[in-house]
Amino acid sequence: MIERGKISAGQMAIMLYLAITPTAILTVPSISFQYARQDFWISPLWAGTAIATVFVALRLHRMYPGLNLLQVSERVLGRLSGKLIGFIILFMYLYLDALVIREYGDFVVGAFLRQTPLIVVSGCMVLVSALAVRGGVEIVARFGQLFLPAFLVFFLFIILPIIPDLNVTFMLPVMAEGIMPSISGSGILQVWYSEFITISFLLPFVADRRKAAKSCTFAILAVILTLVISNLTTLLLLGELTDKYNYPFLVVARYISVADFFAHLESLFMAIWVLGVFVKICVFYYVTVLGTAQWLNLPDYRTIVFPIGFMITFFSMWMAPGYQELIFAIETTVTYYQLTAFVVIPVILFCIASIRKQVSGVR
Amino acid sequence: MNNSEGMFVPMRKWRAALLLLFLCSQTFFLTGCWNRIEINDLAIITAAGFDLTQDEKVEITVNLFLTHTQGNVDMMGGSSGPGGSTPQSLVQSASGINLADALSKLQQILSRNIFWGQNEVFIFGETLARRELIEPMDFLTRHPAPRERANVFVSKGSAKEVLKLQPPVERNLAEVLRELAKTQTGLNITVKELAQMMAGKASAAVIPLVEIKKQEKIKIPIIKGTAIVKNGRMIGRMDDVATRGVLWLRNEIKKATVTVTPEDKEGYVSFELLKSHTELTPHIEGNEWSITAKIDTLDDIVENTTSINLLDTEQTKRLEEKLADDLVNRVNLALTRAQKEMKADIFNFADVFYRKYPKEWNQVKDRWDEIYPQVKVKVEAHPNITRPGLTGKNFLKRN
Repeated sequence: MIERGKISAGQMAIMLYLAITPTAILTVPSISFQYARQDFWISPLWAGTAIATVFVALRLHRMYPGLNLLQVSERVLGRLSGKLIGFIILFMYLYLDALVIREYGDFVVGAFLRQTPLIVVSGCMVLVSALAVRGGVEIVARFGQLFLPAFLVFFLFIILPIIPDLNVTFMLPVMAEGIMPSISGSGILQVWYSEFITISFLLPFVADRRKAAKSCTFAILAVILTLVISNLTTLLLLGELTDKYNYPFLVVARYISVADFFAHLESLFMAIWVLGVFVKICVFYYVTVLGTAQWLNLPDYRTIVFPIGFMITFFSMWMAPGYQELIFAIETTVTYYQLTAFVVIPVILFCIASIRKQVSGVR
Repeated sequence: MNNSEGMFVPMRKWRAALLLLFLCSQTFFLTGCWNRIEINDLAIITAAGFDLTQDEKVEITVNLFLTHTQGNVDMMGGSSGPGGSTPQSLVQSASGINLADALSKLQQILSRNIFWGQNEVFIFGETLARRELIEPMDFLTRHPAPRERANVFVSKGSAKEVLKLQPPVERNLAEVLRELAKTQTGLNITVKELAQMMAGKASAAVIPLVEIKKQEKIKIPIIKGTAIVKNGRMIGRMDDVATRGVLWLRNEIKKATVTVTPEDKEGYVSFELLKSHTELTPHIEGNEWSITAKIDTLDDIVENTTSINLLDTEQTKRLEEKLADDLVNRVNLALTRAQKEMKADIFNFADVFYRKYPKEWNQVKDRWDEIYPQVKVKVEAHPNITRPGLTGKNFLKRN
């Protein structure tokens, strides 16, 4: 195995939590609200994809211990078609990482550093992440552990001071048109939940595998809880304005004013965002690098960290000419591609694998 | 072997030293000096006003906070303080085809970068407000610099005149207006709330009106009355008395002193409001839409010039009824103005109905403008007089 590091199940849960929440807080409310209106705070509860992907990843790992999704697909489908499927998944990871970098860059440039070129903001982030990824899975996991307390404290620093400004009537009527709006509002969230498939790449390095299932459940619950809280806060402050702003949660942070001097907290929001997104980028970057090295049968993955970093940076620039196209892409193609690569393919793999096991078991 | 190792060690040391030097040199890029903006490069705006000029252009007027304390302000043009002391702010204006354009023109005449971060007040001139509020509001919500928590006002007359005032008490004009709005004797509306009302189901909004009051020689701004906004433009005004009714019905009243004259008695009794809560309950029966507004208040008596003994529960009850009548009248006054005359749903009845009757609302949401004036509103006031103050009967008065 080309990675010798070991992580704990808890570290894996933290990595997943930080890999999913930060971007979900930023962009999801606006899209989710369009479908679910005042019920969009319920939407994160419909986490079907998260449960399905975690289940599939855990079962596949039980069938083929120590192997990740790419290796499993080679075992199950044979070398050639296995590699092909592996390429689709790997390319998605590459693309996804570039997408996250781009979202990060667009947000930082659009809302804060208006004069700075996008490539500088994205490039710096990729460079820092590359150094972390070179350190291996243990380093990425440690960063997650290090940043989680800061992430949570900053998050509470935004939620608590805004409470006096919240208006509970904005959430009424709850489920006026039944359960359907909240479910359709959760559609876009499934894209984020599907990222839980990443545990398939982390499970081989988990030292205490018995606790893995429990940690994953905990991670799912933590993500749901965070999203419900952030969505609810956004809704109770902005009401019908939620989908009018591109980054509603940023407005929440900007609106805080306690005792006239505790105000202008968007820098705090930016801190949350940079910390969380850093871990997110590192996790996906690491999976891309590791997977590519395995796919090409390289002896070490460290050699391709920087080349792939370059690819990610340029992908993030080529992805879309502007913010509008980026959002359009996310709402249309990316959603389907990601759900195919992260949900449909693993589920099919799982079905084939379990049929094979049963057939060979009967023999 | 010895030889090769001997060569190798200094090489590594050299490399390490070079790397260290290289890394240290990078710190020069981290100082932030590259894109530094010092405080004396900033034109800190504390209040901004928007007017419509005679040639149909938008004029932006800003109140700049002067970071230097001494200095010759007169040389920089702008305002002159009435008190003779050095004013701490400076007024500048520029016009353009829209706000963004006007702002760029303003930047041209300023030697410093416009900085919105501390801006607390936006004032719309009445002519501009009557023309349209959608364009300026789009700018204020889209541009990342102006803050959503800033207060908005409409000025009787031009916003520029208001911004030129030199307030005698507070540090600058923005502070005055913000504190005035915060006392809640009038409305207190932020950019976010205005955007919310304008984009909401009712599509009607209220903005506090600012007026210039002359007291002897000093001119001060006061908040008096309300501008009523419907479908993105101001359609009318409400006076001070009606505004109080608006506040009661919108459940935004915080401070109030109500004075009533008891029947068959001479003199007045004044109440100070301690607490008030207004609840709107919608009903739909057949085709008839109605709302019951229930106002619960808690009041203390602060003045009594009648001969009533306020410790007498019977009398207190009669006073409560009188107070209730007064409240209902105030609210009805506001209602008639908003509902029957201007037909603007500033109390957000639309949301009230939607919350309880989402299906019925969805059926009529395109015809809300027709239904709203027909909604029957029943106002019930339940005042509760808790304390007579420190004295009972007016003991200075002899009967």
